[in-house]
Amino acid sequence: MTETTVAPERTDVTDDDEAIEPDRPWLVIVWNDPINLMSYVTWVFQKLFGYSFEKATRLMLDVHHKGRAVVSSGAREKAEMDCFRLHAHGLWATMSKSD
Amino acid sequence: MELTDQEAGILRSLLDEMATLLDADVPEDAIKARLFPPASEDPQQQATFAELTRSDLENEKRAAVRDVREQLGPRGPVVVDLDDDDVGTWLRLLTDLRLAIGTRLEVTDETMAAEIDPNDPNAAALSVLHWLGWMTESILERTTA
Repeated sequence: MTETTVAPERTDVTDDDEAIEPDRPWLVIVWNDPINLMSYVTWVFQKLFGYSFEKATRLMLDVHHKGRAVVSSGAREKAEMDCFRLHAHGLWATMSKSD
Repeated sequence: MELTDQEAGILRSLLDEMATLLDADVPEDAIKARLFPPASEDPQQQATFAELTRSDLENEKRAAVRDVREQLGPRGPVVVDLDDDDVGTWLRLLTDLRLAIGTRLEVTDETMAAEIDPNDPNAAALSVLHWLGWMTESILERTTA
């Protein structure tokens, strides 16, 4: 997901890294697990984030096939709240700062 | 939701077990770790998250157990109409029960997809796990997010 191998691009942004630090959003990631049902995970994404059935299904399939998917992003407080709500629904979610 | 006398009895005892598990005095184990997973690999960030959310999460899960336990009544078969709030409560509760059982059995994608071997010492628990999943599916089929 974060395989940044193109060195010149990284160099370009390094100088500004600190300046843009506050604006880098937090990502909320849902991880695959063998217990939760696909239909339930889709329902949770629709209910918590207001996503369409199609978008929720796509994210669920990403979790299922790729092992994880970014389901939301934003300020730290929003990411914490989203993790909380996902945990309340039994999904395994983590938050991390985007690269 | 319609449950036979036997089904309602199983669900009542699962709820009582979950209520005990959610008791603050029960030490952390694999099941609790799955019900309250870390939100970050960074220990400091995780500590902040746990401080912010843990008691609210515990209270939400306890409330779901209590609400459904009340709807099941003390004994006998159960017929209950689920309104929108109930649907959310039941789905979250059934999920927590499945997570607890599945974590205890250390299920994998393979064991979840396989037919249950009647000689497996975990056959009964696996049947309950799948039955709870069937209930989840049947509630989802009758609802929209």
